[in-house]
Amino acid sequence: MLRHASKMILGQGLRSPPTRAVAVGAGTPRMYHERVVDHYNNPRNVGSFDKNDPNVGTGLVGAPACGDVMKLQIRVDDDTGKIVDACFKTFGCGSAIASSSVATEWVKGKQTEEVLTIKNTEIAKHLSLPPVKLHCSMLAEDAIKAAVKDYESKRAKSNASEEAAPVEKAADA
Amino acid sequence: MWKKKLYSSTPLSTILLRTSKIPKIHSPNSVSHKNITLLDPLLHTSASFYSSSSPFVEIEGVSFPTVGGIFFGGPTFHRENVNLFVKKKNCFYSESKSAKKLQCWNCDATADGATPFLVCQSCRSVQPVNHSIDYFQILGVERKYNIEVEKLEGKYKNWQKKLHPDLVHSKSQREREYAAEQSARVINAYRTLTDPLSRAIYILKLENVVVDEEERITDPELLAKIMELREAVEEAEGNQALNQIKAQIQDKMQYWCKSFEDAFLNKKYEDAIASIQRMTYYKRANEEIIKKL
Repeated sequence: MLRHASKMILGQGLRSPPTRAVAVGAGTPRMYHERVVDHYNNPRNVGSFDKNDPNVGTGLVGAPACGDVMKLQIRVDDDTGKIVDACFKTFGCGSAIASSSVATEWVKGKQTEEVLTIKNTEIAKHLSLPPVKLHCSMLAEDAIKAAVKDYESKRAKSNASEEAAPVEKAADA
Repeated sequence: MWKKKLYSSTPLSTILLRTSKIPKIHSPNSVSHKNITLLDPLLHTSASFYSSSSPFVEIEGVSFPTVGGIFFGGPTFHRENVNLFVKKKNCFYSESKSAKKLQCWNCDATADGATPFLVCQSCRSVQPVNHSIDYFQILGVERKYNIEVEKLEGKYKNWQKKLHPDLVHSKSQREREYAAEQSARVINAYRTLTDPLSRAIYILKLENVVVDEEERITDPELLAKIMELREAVEEAEGNQALNQIKAQIQDKMQYWCKSFEDAFLNKKYEDAIASIQRMTYYKRANEEIIKKL
């Protein structure tokens, strides 16, 4: 089962594919959809941005019942409000990893307001997740929202401090 | 010859006489009266089923056997075990109606209440699964979190000697099915109670507090900590480093097990669930380490 073989995927360093992938190809009852296996074997956008970078929003969510943690980060262009890059790090089952991977792919090139409309059902459908794994896609949706929220709050804070600075200068003058 | 009177209403006094448990009662007219007085003190002594009270109740220096802590006095007589107990059909107090009169499907013997009714003690036939008997009862331990895990194995094996499907080849199809189910339930009981995390979740479930399978959290401190831990495990090189982290995790697990127990005893179920969440995260991390080692 991919769940047993689930490991954190680090950058470009791929591990040997889990034996489950072989079983899936051999025509035995499919437990993980091809796309899920694909995301597991060919991970996209795994990595980390500097969380202190003002252009970066970090969403950190978890599913305590299965012990999953998911981190999704977006890099936003301040002027256009467009997400120019995204990356993720997920510790959990194959479905959770695939869901967050899909999420990073889908948010790239979109506006921050737009990605808030990405629904977990779309992710689940794309990956043909079974009912028992639907909460993994929910986790990915939560991660996107959390990342956007974090970016927005950072921006709000920096705007507030920018406004405060000229006021101080005026007061000094 | 007394068997003729099996289903007729034999006065209580006569029955008790036969069991030679009490001295002879001379006034048959006042038998029903006697019933009340005999049983009254018992109403006070027995409040719950499967309580830790002894299976016998003492009245005026004479022991009366009880079933699940409640005395049944009545006209019908158990066929084989004369000395054990009598079962009352028309009870005049309400508690007996709520009492689960567990009966063997094979020989109609009633459960003696001393041991969980998985196998009939008189004809030895395996009983169907009864979900009201919880895991703690099956393995004969007190319903609390801090149990002695060493004791579980012995009881588990004893049950399997009686219930295992391989041992019931000669019996009926019906009984073999019961054996398969009972055996599986005993295995579940053993597995659930030996592991601290599953024991915690189970004992909360018995209190009707269910841990939500699909809940998602955003607690930044906890998640950041767990993220760091999992990354450390991922990046650790060599068994020594891994074992070091493992030892740290063990400490954390013990801390949160204790925390769970305190929360549970004080009925602080929110805190109990929080402890379970942390235990789950540490357990996963531990599993990763074991895979790497």
